[in-house]
Amino acid sequence: MEEKKAEFKVFKNGPLQISGDFELFDSAGEIITRQSPIFLCRCGKSADKPFCDGSHKSAGFSG
Amino acid sequence: MEDPRDRQYTNEEITVFWKPSKCIHATTCFRELIEVFNPGRRPWVNMEGAPTRRIIEVVNKCPTQALEWKYNREMDQKELQMNQVRGDEVTPKTLQEEDNQRPVKVNLMKNGPIVVEGDFKVIGADGNTLRSMLMTSFCRCGGSKSMPYCDGTHRKIGFIEKDD
Repeated sequence: MEEKKAEFKVFKNGPLQISGDFELFDSAGEIITRQSPIFLCRCGKSADKPFCDGSHKSAGFSG
Repeated sequence: MEDPRDRQYTNEEITVFWKPSKCIHATTCFRELIEVFNPGRRPWVNMEGAPTRRIIEVVNKCPTQALEWKYNREMDQKELQMNQVRGDEVTPKTLQEEDNQRPVKVNLMKNGPIVVEGDFKVIGADGNTLRSMLMTSFCRCGGSKSMPYCDGTHRKIGFIEKDD
């Protein structure tokens, strides 16, 4: 089956959504997940990094 | 014999030599120092992106001799003349393009950005702009001035991902 091309969607003042055919690796090069979609923290404030936990709202993140 | 794809990059102190034929895509350089070694940019090596000692440290970690360095004061005239920037630069990324890399690799840099390699699309925060890309780095510290992309701000603000 043909996998869907990876897509990175930037949410205004929010996270980065990744969907399609991708692999997420940690800084040691170990695979974390292939599951789609995922939402990665962009504001730097999530307590669940690298994933978004909604902290961008309380932090008033703009970007 | 000299490979026409070879390049060199210089600042006031040192010159970094890039030999694509020796690159094995270990990705050490841009995992460690995306501010200097960014295959998504041209030229892909930015010698102003970090202090000289840090550049030396990362070049020394290259597992092959694809990246090497020398003090400018130790270079001869012929080598110094090669410091002129030439076009048609290959990077670790373009070398790999024939592989049509799938799935796309999403790499989390420690206390740094999300570096993406492969063939992918980016939809902007306005919901409309769509770009096809082969390599980029997304900001993760919240402080970049060129959102959504990394501009190296994470180092300035001392972004720490986790306390451990």
